[in-house]
Amino acid sequence: MIQILVYGAVISAVYAMLAVGFTLIFGVARILNLAHGSFYALGAYAVYTLTAQAHLPLWLAAILAVLLVAAFGMLIERLLVRPLRRSSLAVLLITLAVALMVEQALLLTFGSEARNVPSMVSTTYHFAGVDISGQRLLALTGGIGVLLGLWAFMQHTRLGLAILAISQDAEAAQYMGIPSDRIYSIVMGLSAGIAAAAGVLVAPFQTVIPGMGLLPLVKAFAIVVVGGLGSIPGSIVGALLLGYSETIIAFKVSIEWSQIVSVAAVLLTLVLRPAGFFGKRAAF
Amino acid sequence: MAILLIDWVGAVLALLVLAAAPLALGSSYIIGVLTVALCFGIWAASWDFMSGLTGRENFGHSLFIGAGAYAAGFLNVTFGLSPWWSLLAAPLVAVFFSILMGFPTLRLKGPYFALAMLSGAAVMQNLTIIFSEYTGGQDGLNGLEPLLDPPLAQYYFTLACLALTALVLKFIANSPWGTILRAIRGDEASCQAAGINVTFYKIASLMISAAFAGVGAALYAHYQLQVGPDLFAVVLSINIIIMVYVGGMGSIYGPIGGAVLLNVLTEVLRGFSEYRLWVYTLVLIFIVFFMPQGLVAPLWRRIRAVTR
Repeated sequence: MIQILVYGAVISAVYAMLAVGFTLIFGVARILNLAHGSFYALGAYAVYTLTAQAHLPLWLAAILAVLLVAAFGMLIERLLVRPLRRSSLAVLLITLAVALMVEQALLLTFGSEARNVPSMVSTTYHFAGVDISGQRLLALTGGIGVLLGLWAFMQHTRLGLAILAISQDAEAAQYMGIPSDRIYSIVMGLSAGIAAAAGVLVAPFQTVIPGMGLLPLVKAFAIVVVGGLGSIPGSIVGALLLGYSETIIAFKVSIEWSQIVSVAAVLLTLVLRPAGFFGKRAAF
Repeated sequence: MAILLIDWVGAVLALLVLAAAPLALGSSYIIGVLTVALCFGIWAASWDFMSGLTGRENFGHSLFIGAGAYAAGFLNVTFGLSPWWSLLAAPLVAVFFSILMGFPTLRLKGPYFALAMLSGAAVMQNLTIIFSEYTGGQDGLNGLEPLLDPPLAQYYFTLACLALTALVLKFIANSPWGTILRAIRGDEASCQAAGINVTFYKIASLMISAAFAGVGAALYAHYQLQVGPDLFAVVLSINIIIMVYVGGMGSIYGPIGGAVLLNVLTEVLRGFSEYRLWVYTLVLIFIVFFMPQGLVAPLWRRIRAVTR
């Protein structure tokens, strides 16, 4: 019971970090970013390279990895996505192409075998009869920290308010003098950075392989649909819902059935309440 | 666009080239590659009929393909029926799934249809793995019989099916029906205001699209002699969309050209071994960037304009 509670919380925190970035870039710039999973993979590989090959201290490597991937996200937005934004299908295809390129680049440089990233916290905590590694707890607290930070940033800074304004009504926001192109770039960097932070936090207890971005992308996608496309609170609620139902089913039924939870949830949501929990109905 | 004499000439020429290709190149390997390319041609054309004309991108076309292929597999392997029954059963099962998915999602606006189709295909892929005692799990169903014995005969049969698919779909697309579908793409609200039952047209065209995808799936299953959960994969749907995009959306013949072209390109790129996917993706980025209308259909329009 306690085990389900703790593991579910860790998974939910990681899912929430992925889903928040995914929904942010959709809500603000109307970009369904299929390359979101590759930011997560890049984060994990960046921290691996910086620690195992460049021998940087772990905390520095983690920060650098997040910043590098955020910069990469902004670069992709500027070079590839921005010129194509008229056509949503073209944007989808170009982000898909980026995802394929990143996966291939990782495969060619690091090979297909799994890489090991050292744990940031080596102690294992004993908690109400359950063993839980410090790294998982760090992922949980890190996730909550990032989400709180994002919330504070969105509500209490000029930049965050500008982002909110664009997501509510892009045209009106532009009339108020908000430079939408620059905001899109920043949001892409932010969303890539949060995905990379998730990748950095889970790298020590996940298998780090070139294709590791695909499954989180599917999960983020499912969460965002359940919570409502473009809604940040919705994606956090969706992450909790999916994280816990997956953990419960994995413990009580089987791992195979837990894989179907996310997609079945998407189907149910789309049939019963297409706007999701917190989405605005007919918003797009 | 009305069909002109030049279009018939072009279609016959393309057919002749495809018919002569295995004879000229010979090896059974090439025949295999081309048979698969033709199946992709059927899938791309059927995707284009629904999504290219109405502008509702379907990200789960593999749902129909997988459903049709497993129908063929069950009938042939589990129940031992003649493989020809697959050509009837596969489209029927695919149409059943199109009704199941179309009714709840096609009345909605926005990206919901695309997302629901994508997750529908993913659910089915997981179900084939969960119920592995019936479906064979990851290995799928093996030991299907071929439709026709020499692979060359099967190739020509597939080619005939592709030609028929293209003819029927192009005919409907050029009829008043097709005009309505294109009008829905242009402005759905105006169509409704004009008294057109938009939902009916969208669901009906999804059913037609699914039926032809099912035919292609039966042909593919009885060529590969094996069906597996990968036939439900999202990657397959996305590959088909890429082929349609490269061919030129909404033209029916363009996507077929795109499918053949990209299948042949993947084979040609085998020389690059591990850099193959890189090159493929670069080509894709190049086309998305510099030829937003696609490659095949605009080229043909230019040829038409010259000969006129």
